Order: sequence, then C-alpha cells, then structure tokens
Amino acid sequence: MTRRYILVALLLLAPAAVAQDVLGGLRDQGLGFAQVTPGKKLQFPRDHGAHPDYRIEWWYLTANLSDDDGRDWGLQWTLFRQALSPEPVDSGWNSNQIWMAHVAITTPDGHFHEQRFARGGIGQAGVTEIERDGFFNAWMDDWEWRSNGASLLPARLRFTIGEREIDLSLEATGELVANGIDGYSQKSAQGQASYYYSHPFIRLGGTVKSGPEKIDLAGKGWLDREWSSQALAQNQQGWDWFSLHLDDGHKLMVYQLRHDGGEHWLSGNWIGADGSTRLLGRDAIDLSPLQLRAISTGENRSRRLPMEWRLLLVEQDRRWRIRPLYDDQWMDTTIPYWEGVVIVEGENGQRAGVGYMELTGYQ
Amino acid sequence: MNRGFVWILKALLSHYWRHPWQTLFMAIGLIAGVGLWSAVQIINQHAEASYRQAQSLLGAQASYWIQSRRDEGIEQSLYIDLRRAGFRQVFPLIELEVGTVEGISVSIIATDLLALPGDAFGAEGDTGDFAETWLKFVQPPYRAWVPEALARELRLEAGAQLRLRGGRSLPPALIQAREQQGRRVLLDIGAAMSLSGSDRFSYLAVGPVTQREHARLAALLPEYLELTENQQHIDLRELTESLHSHLTAMSLLSFAVGLFIVFNAVRFSLWYRRATILDLRLMGCATQQLFTAILLETLLWSLIGTALGFGLGILLAHALLPGLGASLQSLYAATVDSDLGLSPLTLLQAWSITLLGLVWALSWPLYRQLQQSSLEAGRSAGLLRDEAVARRRLALAALALALIAGLGYGRIETVTQGFVVLGLMLFAAAWLLPILLAAGLLLAGWLVPRSRLLPRWMVSDGWSQMPALRSAMMALLLALTANLGVGTLVDSFRNAFVGWLEVRQSADIYLRGPRVDYGRLRASPSTRSWLAASHYRIGVNTRWRDRPTLVRGIDPRAPDSLELPLSLWQGESAAAARRVWREQPGKVLINEQLHFLAGVELGETIELNTDGGARKFEVVGVFYDYGNPYFQFYLPYEVVARNWSHHYSRGIALWLKHDNNEAMQQAEASLTALGARPGDWISQAQVRRLSVGIFDRTFAITAAMNGLTMIVAAIALLASLLAILQERLPQFAQWRALGLRQGEQLLLVATPLLIFCVIAWLMSIPLGALLSWILIHKLNIISFGWSMPLVWEFEPALRLALLVLLICAATLLLVSYQWRRKMPQALAQLGETI
Repeated sequence: MTRRYILVALLLLAPAAVAQDVLGGLRDQGLGFAQVTPGKKLQFPRDHGAHPDYRIEWWYLTANLSDDDGRDWGLQWTLFRQALSPEPVDSGWNSNQIWMAHVAITTPDGHFHEQRFARGGIGQAGVTEIERDGFFNAWMDDWEWRSNGASLLPARLRFTIGEREIDLSLEATGELVANGIDGYSQKSAQGQASYYYSHPFIRLGGTVKSGPEKIDLAGKGWLDREWSSQALAQNQQGWDWFSLHLDDGHKLMVYQLRHDGGEHWLSGNWIGADGSTRLLGRDAIDLSPLQLRAISTGENRSRRLPMEWRLLLVEQDRRWRIRPLYDDQWMDTTIPYWEGVVIVEGENGQRAGVGYMELTGYQ
Repeated sequence: MNRGFVWILKALLSHYWRHPWQTLFMAIGLIAGVGLWSAVQIINQHAEASYRQAQSLLGAQASYWIQSRRDEGIEQSLYIDLRRAGFRQVFPLIELEVGTVEGISVSIIATDLLALPGDAFGAEGDTGDFAETWLKFVQPPYRAWVPEALARELRLEAGAQLRLRGGRSLPPALIQAREQQGRRVLLDIGAAMSLSGSDRFSYLAVGPVTQREHARLAALLPEYLELTENQQHIDLRELTESLHSHLTAMSLLSFAVGLFIVFNAVRFSLWYRRATILDLRLMGCATQQLFTAILLETLLWSLIGTALGFGLGILLAHALLPGLGASLQSLYAATVDSDLGLSPLTLLQAWSITLLGLVWALSWPLYRQLQQSSLEAGRSAGLLRDEAVARRRLALAALALALIAGLGYGRIETVTQGFVVLGLMLFAAAWLLPILLAAGLLLAGWLVPRSRLLPRWMVSDGWSQMPALRSAMMALLLALTANLGVGTLVDSFRNAFVGWLEVRQSADIYLRGPRVDYGRLRASPSTRSWLAASHYRIGVNTRWRDRPTLVRGIDPRAPDSLELPLSLWQGESAAAARRVWREQPGKVLINEQLHFLAGVELGETIELNTDGGARKFEVVGVFYDYGNPYFQFYLPYEVVARNWSHHYSRGIALWLKHDNNEAMQQAEASLTALGARPGDWISQAQVRRLSVGIFDRTFAITAAMNGLTMIVAAIALLASLLAILQERLPQFAQWRALGLRQGEQLLLVATPLLIFCVIAWLMSIPLGALLSWILIHKLNIISFGWSMPLVWEFEPALRLALLVLLICAATLLLVSYQWRRKMPQALAQLGETI
C-alpha cells in the first residue's frame, strides 16, 4: 500500500517551503533514484532485503491478537528506510540511509506507541540480506524481527514499549502474495507506482510482559513490504487503508488515495484462503465513511476522522461495516496518523473478522 | 493621598528638575552601580544554572558516563552492542580541540542526533526546516552548528567553513545551537571522525537507568571500560565557586563606588533642600508627612535605578559572558550556554540592594535633616564645624573598621571571609581619607609663604570644597586602590605563570593521540637526527577526598621533570627533594591545590587507591600547578604503570636538537611517517599562545570591571565639581566682580582638587599594595590553591596618576565651560541683589 509514504515523506524529504504539504517529498520526481517499472519480477528471498537505490521502503507488520480471555489486542511493528541521495552509501557514518521505526500495541487497557530513529551504515538499524547472511533480520536497537533460517519465516519478533516487553514467534500459514500486477502497484493515473507485496498468512503467538504481569497472546499477522522512489500524484492528499482477516478465511486489502478534486484512487486485493488473489480496481470497490468522530490527538488537541466505514466489493457482492476496537489508537509520532485494530461486521451486524485500519492526511 | 501631601512631595521633588545635572549624576551613579552589580549577578546565576544542567548534554539526560580507563576511547561495535541490548539511553560523543589557521582554539562536540534519547531528532517545531537543519547535519558534507556568540567571535558567517591548521576545515556553518552546547561547535559523529581521523568515540553518555538496568549495563561492559556517575554538576559548583565569589566582590565594589556618587548627590540635594524643608515645616507640615514623602522619593529612585541599572546589567552581561564562558570552558570544562537566562530573582535582588543602598545614602540623611530643629537647620554657619566633626567621626569609624579588619585577617578561612576583611579594609581607608585630606590642606597652607596671598587663598578654598569633594575622593580612592591591587595581582600572576610555563613547557613539540607508539618512536632511526630528548607521560583519573584528581606518571629523568618548579620541599633544596622523589620508593609530589585546599602537608603520608588496594606515599614536595582546578599527584612513571593497569597516555613531549636548523621540519616528517596526522602535534609556541590566551581571557572580565569602576569614579568627581560650581556660583560671581580673572578662578578650584587627588593617589599606593598582598597571599590561595610572588611595579601607579590628572583636566574643562555659560546670569543676579 502507498500509505506509509506520507510518514517517511514528511520526515525525510519535505523542504521548508512545503512544510504544510506533507506529501511534497513523495511527489518529487525521484530523479536519480531507481524507478519502479512494470513487468519486473519480484525475487525472493532477495526482495525481503533492503533496496537502497530506491528512495523509500518499509517492512510493516500489523497483527490482530487475542488473550486467554478472548479480548482483542493489536500490534504494529514498522521499519522505514529512506535514502537521502540517489547513490547508495551503505556503510559507515557517511551512509545516506536513514531508518525510522514505529511500534504500537493496542491492549484492553489502552494504546501505546513509540518512535525511534537511526542512521544506516553503523549497525544500529538495518535489514540483512538473506542470501549473504543466511537469515532475515530487520532491526533497530533492540526491536527486531529475526528469522530462524534462510527465509522470512519462521521468525521471532521482539520489541519494547516503555516497560512492556513483547516477544512473539511468527510462522507462515500460507504464501506471500504480490499486490497490483505481479507486485507492480500503480498509485495514480499519472503513473506513480511502487513494488508491493504482502504476507497476510502469518500466525503469531507469544507474550507481553509488563512488570510482573505476563499475558499470553495469539493471532494473525499481516506483513506489508513496499518500496519506491516516487509514489504520489500532486493532488493526492492522504489515504485510508485496510487489511482485514475475515472469519471465512479470506484476506482483504483495500486502500483509497484521496484526491483534492475528482475521484479517489481505489485499489485492493481479494485473497482467498488458498492464496489465490484477485486485483480489485476502482470500480470493484465501494468505500465510504459512515461517521466522522473527534479523536483526541494529544493534550487539548483533537481531529475529526472517519472512524466507521462501509465497504462493498461489487463483484463479490459482499458488504461490511468496519469500526475501530476503540477510537484512541492515534500515533502521536513526528508525523501523526491513526492506525489501529478494527472489527469487521457483516450485513447482519455479526462480527465477521478483524483487521487494521490506517488513516492519514486528515487535518 | 491628600492634596497637602502631594504638594509636599512636589516641593521636595522639584529639586531634581531645578538641578538636572545633579539629577543626571545621581541617576548615573545609581544606574552604573546597579548595572555593574547586576551584570555580575546575571552572569553568576546564569553560570550556576548551566552547572545545574550538567546532568544533561545537548538536551539529553546524561546521568552516567562510559569511559575507557585507558583513555583510548570507545569502539563503535561496543556502542552498537549496547543499543542492541536495549540501552537506548546510551549515546556516543566525541570531543575534540582544533586550532584555526589564526591560532584560535575551538572546542568541538559531536554526537549522533538521531540516537539521542528523548526524541531529539526531528522534534516538533523543527519539521519546517527539517531538510536544512537535520538531514544536512547527518550527511556529507555535513553542517557545523555554531552558537551565535562563537560565530561572532570567529567571524564565521552562515554557510562558511572555518579553516583549521593542517589544511583541514570544518563543515559549512549553521548558526544554531542545542542546549548545553556551550561555546562549542556541534558536529555529527561522522564529520568529527573524518576530522580527527579516528573511528572511536571519546566516551558514551548514559541517560537515566533503573538500578536493575544499571547492574545489567555494568555487567555488559568489558573490563577496561568504566561506568561512572555524572557528578559534574557538583564538581563544577565547587570548582568554580571561588571564581564567582571574586566576581561578586568586584561587583559589590562597583556598587559601592556607584553609591558614593549617590551619596554625593544627596549631600548636594540636602544643601539645597534645607530651605525647602524648613519652609515646609514652618508652614506646619507634619514630620510624619515629610517622612512618608522621603520614603516615596526613595522608592521612586530605587525603581528608576533598578529598571535602568538592570537593563544596563543585561547589556554588560551579554558583553562579558563570551569571555567568561571561554575561560570556564578552558579551565573547568564547564559549559555555559551563550544565551543568557534571566531570573526574576536577580531582578528582585537588584531592587533590594538598590533600596538598601538608597535608604543608607538618601533616606537616612534626609531623615536626619528632619530631626534637626527648625532653627538649627536654618543656620549655615555651623556647616564647616559640622564638617570637621563629621571628619573626626569618620576617622574614628575608620579606625574601628581597620581594627576589626586586622583582627579578622588572622581568621580568614573562606573566600567570603577574605572579601569581608578586604571590604572592611577598603572602607576604613576611604573613611580615613577626609581627615587626611584636611591634614594635606593644613600642610599645604603651612608650606605656602604667608606673603603669597593668592596661593594661600587657593589652598584655603579647599576647606569650602571639602564637603562637596569628600565622597568623590573616597570613590576615587576605592577605584584607584582596586585598580592597583587587582592590577598587581594580575601582573604577578602573569609573571609567575609565564615563568612557570617556560619551565613546565620546555619541550618543543607535544604529541597527542593514539596514533604514534612511543616505543616505535624511540626506536625509529628517522628520529635520531632531530630528537634530543623525549618524555612519555601517563595518567589515571580518580577522585581524592571526593574531588576530581589526576595521578600522573612522569619520567623523573626527563628534562622538564628535572627542573620541575617546587614551591615547598622537604630537605635542603628543591633539587634534593626531587632526587629523593626520583630515587626512593614511596615518595610523591603533590600540587599546591592539595597542599592549600586539602591541607596536605610536607612529610605527610597519603593513601592512593591502586589496583592492589590502598597504597601509602610520603609527600616530599609541592609543585606549582597554575590553572589546574583539580588535585594532582606526581609519581614516577613506573610506579603508576605498576599500580594502575588502566593508566592512559597523557602525550609525548619532544625536545629538538638545537644544533640542527631543520629539526622541526625533520620532526614533522618523521612523525607523519610514524602515523601521526596534522593536528596530533602542537608546537611549544602554539601551546604557550593557547595557555597565555586562556590566562588573558580569564582576567579580561577583571580588567573590564576595573575599567568600569574607574569610569564611575570619574563621574563622581565630575558630579562633585559641578555641584561645587552650582553651590558657589553666587560667590564666584562676587569674586569676579571684585576683579578676579577667570584663569585665577579656575586655579582656585583646581588647586585644592589637585591636592586632594594627589593625597588620594598617594594613599592608594600602599593601600593597593596591601590589597594585592592580601589577594595573592590569602584569597588566591584559599580560592585556587595557587601561590606566587608579589611583583610590585610603579609603572601602573604612574599610569593611574596620569589618568587621574586627565580626569581632573577633563572635569575642569567642563566646569569652566559651564562657568562661562552661567557667569553672566550670576553676575546679573549679583547686580540685582546689590
């Protein structure tokens, strides 16, 4: 999905003149950087690693978990990479790669998050090359995803948020899927695009420790991998993104890039339990907000966000209502956004699945 | 407030607009005094606030340090290991000293802003300039963040690159600073590493950790690294306390000199308001009302004085801070931010001290005036008699003060006590002055032949001028004495310091850094042609009696060790003591700081904590250690190497063969061949220039305060003379009418003035000597633990005499101008009365 560009964009690219325009950097032409072109085949395990010749990239894991009492939990673990100049300098303090990490955990007691930065080249953050190093490792300080062998999964995910220590094991229950056309994901009619694949079949299990308290958790995860050098059109102001685990075994990814004027750019992937995919175009998706609510975004600050949605897949003739587990899942990071656990309800109002929603670009 | 009261107040205050010059002088005295005092207070409090922040570094908390016991720095991999073990509060730092092509020493601090704890990177409010501010900082060609004051000092413009010795230069400058950056240039670690050519950090800082984390962190560190608590905020307060007390004392002196002007102006206003007050009382005004009016007047003046004085103080503090900040950084490694923080407390203090001063100088004399009976107040014949009584009273008080000062002298134990004794002494001298001035007049009158009428008149007119000039003379005496005393202290110190530097820094080249191995240097055939002698020194940082302490291992046979200047020694000579230290085991040399501040005596046995536990050493000598705020022990090299495995290199001193004209070039070539980089070595001339530069900067603030005090005294003199002119204009008009020429009239005023000034100047010489004697032999030793011989020279005294003459000439010139302007009117008035 295109969504994470905004975070990296403002943080790492936005010049002073367009400080208000958070997407300025993304709309840059990305001259000198490697460009995303159609027809290129994704190669694994190589493409699990970093692509420093592209401007931006991320490893984005979200997971819907539950504890022994059946209560909903969620987690987000994200590593962003940004190249500051086209010619990659990978090692040493002169490295032009900068890393940013966001983690968050949605608990029955509230939502907690943390942000970190690190520079590349010194070993404080990075992603290994599986072919060279023999294992997958994406890390920043003590936050890390480390595989047990020469593949992405199975792996162990460990991170901390304040006093909370999260330790989970991850394993694949299916294959990863390419989004767009063989991983070439178009973002606008003008040709902006990214390479984009997901791993929606991840089973997680482990613990969250907070002081003497230790809670067992288990659930489903969704990994998004995306890289590009230029991804947004001039008139795109933000996006709404959903990754859903449906109870019938389907996985669904849907996003819309909101345009200043004219129609929004809608895209999605309808993934069967067997891993079969169906690219969803603009006409195949009907996504509309049901309710705008004021969300507290800090002390005496709030924003109005569309917290409830109606989603309709035309060809599949399926419709759902999507609502947050609770509203307070705001990421008050340098570039703030809403990202959190959502509950999917079917036409009869029954719970039909869980997932993650991301809302960006709302003032 | 009833109307009557308003009238009283108006009548009293009308004096000030009837005599604008006196009002101006009173204001100047008050503002200058308050200004100088508050400037120093602002600086002191700002410095103290900075010391309190020593728990933080560049805006991040630094509760602990991770340092190499061997001073080798810390490798990157260890830092990454700690971060990956979850110690996110650990961040790397590099500190460097570099020299510009102009020979100015610049301190550099470098860190990784992305790794600073506490969300420093891209913090809110900075996003607007994110690319310009942050991204360029961490990427080649990097940016150097230079605080505004430092940039001004280095004449560095935004975007320009500071050129350094050895053909290097700093990254393009951005005029910007982080918290606790002080007078340092902030660089990214990457930039600092390219600059230094080393891939190691100087040390790591550690933010707050829980007890459990502390234990885990300590366990993770290899044996050669140590985790120490950041005690800088305590150390700095202790180490710099004396310096700040010195400044406070200077500022109080300035305040006192300022108050003399006020006192003088008040005396004048009393003279003029006698009639007003008498009229008011005869009209039936209650004493109570008059008293309240006086209090209101005082309050008004205190508000004016505080507001304007404090404003002047802020300006002065801004001007003085960069120099002082540089000294604090060079001497104590104390970081003082260049942006002044003002506290309302300082303002309140300034107001209280102003009010207190005014109550003493304004309200009290006015109140006394009220107390006098109406009849007595009306008579002016008793004035001269009053003056004589006042002189005698002052002299008696002076003797009492001198007695207290004398008694107190033997009991001086702290810096504050020392300054109290000094203050008593100075005021005793000031109060004694009027009677000496009177004696001088008597003597002059006796010396002038009875037949010479005009000269006799000139001398005896001094009696009329005395009341007006008294306070100004006292202020002048204080300023002259302070100038001479402090000047002598600085000259003596400079003399001792430069002489000491010549012996201590006798080597031609000083080599630092880890790149050259001493063994290889000694063995290298390339050094034979130029190397006459060398001295490899090692050291251990420790704490002794809870104060930062250095144990140095030096080669006892190196040229500079053989000549090590001792201030005290055991046995018959310094050379004999050095021999004993060199040849007998278990002997130690200590610095003067240990002797004077910690009270360690010759022959005493002290204990040092070595790797193998506490070891005893006997003190056989005390060496001078100017400029060092820390305790320092000197032991032979082998003793330190044997007892402290974690010793580190303190550099190599190299002496050149003086018969070889190209020794310096050859030395530089072979050092480069041995792996040293430009910047690793520094020549003797450069070291001396740096040391003397630090010295001069340290005393720059003293010189500035001295100069300002002198200016205040000059203003006092001018104010008094103008007052005389004002008071006696009718008299002068009468004389003029009797045929006295203007030149003669000017002489009439100038002669007593000159007599008085000569007396004040003469008195300031022994007094200045006494002041410097106490400063050098008492206060300097108590404050810093540095002893030095007093070097007395007459030249400064002569220079001051010249200065006094110039001040007199300038004031007389102004007075004669005023005279010329006012005389016609005065003559006209005289004509009317006749």
